[in-house]
Amino acid sequence: MSHSDTVPLHQSSQSDIDEIESLINASVQSGPTTVLPARPPSPPRASIPVVSSSPFIQSNLPPPPPLSSSNQKVPSVPAPAPPPPPSFGASGFGPVPNTLTEPVWDTVKRDLSRIVSNLKLVVFPNPYREDPGKALRDWDLWGPFFFIVFLGLALSWSASVKKSEVFAVAFALLAAGAVILTLNVLLLGGHIIFFQSLSLLGYCLFPLVVGAVICMLKDNVMLKVIAVSVTLAWSSWAAYPFMSSAVNPRRKALALYPVFLMYVSVGFLIIAID
Amino acid sequence: MDESYTSLPTSHLLGSVPAAINEEKNASNYEVPGANMQIFPPNNGGERGKGYQTLGSPPEGFEQQPENGWKGVFSISSYTQYFNVDTDIVLNRLMSSLYPIGGDFFSKIDANPDLYGLIWISTTLVFVLAAFGNCATYLMEKHSDSTTSWNFDVSYVNLAAGSVYGYAIVVPVAFYFLLQYLGSNASLVRFWCLWGYSLSVFVLASFLLLIPVEFLRWIIIILAGTASACFVALNLRSYTAGSDLSLMVVAAFFLQLALAIFIKVWFFP
Repeated sequence: MSHSDTVPLHQSSQSDIDEIESLINASVQSGPTTVLPARPPSPPRASIPVVSSSPFIQSNLPPPPPLSSSNQKVPSVPAPAPPPPPSFGASGFGPVPNTLTEPVWDTVKRDLSRIVSNLKLVVFPNPYREDPGKALRDWDLWGPFFFIVFLGLALSWSASVKKSEVFAVAFALLAAGAVILTLNVLLLGGHIIFFQSLSLLGYCLFPLVVGAVICMLKDNVMLKVIAVSVTLAWSSWAAYPFMSSAVNPRRKALALYPVFLMYVSVGFLIIAID
Repeated sequence: MDESYTSLPTSHLLGSVPAAINEEKNASNYEVPGANMQIFPPNNGGERGKGYQTLGSPPEGFEQQPENGWKGVFSISSYTQYFNVDTDIVLNRLMSSLYPIGGDFFSKIDANPDLYGLIWISTTLVFVLAAFGNCATYLMEKHSDSTTSWNFDVSYVNLAAGSVYGYAIVVPVAFYFLLQYLGSNASLVRFWCLWGYSLSVFVLASFLLLIPVEFLRWIIIILAGTASACFVALNLRSYTAGSDLSLMVVAAFFLQLALAIFIKVWFFP
């Protein structure tokens, strides 16, 4: 029994497990399973319950350990890409889960709503901001990717010469910068999850994207300086609690200064591109 | 001496060995960070503390860090030993790098050289050179021909990155190998630390180099270059402490001056 490593599950993964269980029940139509009619409904959501259904699975279905391990993978990898994760447990039995056959628009809508909800959590004031563990538990990398590419495109569009070089510099600066900032925190002895931090730094770019769009549309230098300063302060404010809580308080400034440096350099790039 | 402390059950703490080294030096308040190093690992020793457990005798010799938690090139915990600094320590080292006459930088960093200064001071310098170089070029052209318009040359970023990172990484490696070849013991991490902190003067000088007066710019860069070069040369001399290596010291001095001239000519014409 694997009760020693039971973890409370995320809501969506719990529903995935229930979905798969119902599919198992639906696909077991004939065969020597005898316990099926007497099977109780799913136990309360305190632990990974797939183990409890193992007595009647073993005869004619793929063995439970891959199933339980694949279900255990679901909470820790929340939807890395539009082809959704639960499909890899589905090949052995019955009809596939809905997320593989759903319309593309549903997938895109789901990812977009996740991007919007993460954005609201990270960039806008909300009561969960001070708790990094709760704030971005459902991180994803699509949002940061869109923001970085869009910022590069906006800068490239605003430039009059060397457009491709501007895009390359902006993209490299932001992508490499996010990785290096995360490594910096890890090297200083901080505690963060690598991809969660990448996701966070990418989402904190959103104000600068807004600033870049404003600067792209209006060419007045004073307006550019004001817009970039305001959005820069907003980005720094958004990134501050996550970065500062990740390291020892005596090293807080050492972890925050590179973040500030990166945002200032991106802000300067936005102002300076003519 | 190595075996006596590796057998201690508390060898994951730095113990008394670095403190003993610090007591031989002049008692500055830098002792306090040394004391902090004893209590810091248990606070943070959950996962990163693995790096502090000694794996037998260190391969680089005793004057290096006493324990060497090297877990391979691709493991982060093997590099955390080079980032074991607090904010006040980094600021202290920065301040001391601005005083060219001192010669005691190596004694300050001996127990705990850090690569944080190298990486982030050189990155700051890259950004400052690219940004202020563009501003200064524009101001200079405006000074002579008031019809020029602002033009951001993004190749300044590439040039600044290539030159600053190249200089800060390659020159200490060259000196390290040269000193090893000539028989004297050298420590690459300490050299990187020294050259990294020596670049901080240029960051400050770049702010002043915005002034579009050519004569003033030359004065500023000569002063900054000399200060930085003196810092490097004097510390190198006190480190090698042998008279037959004075050619190295002079070479380091002139290399730093050459970097200063290059910065002036390319970024602040």
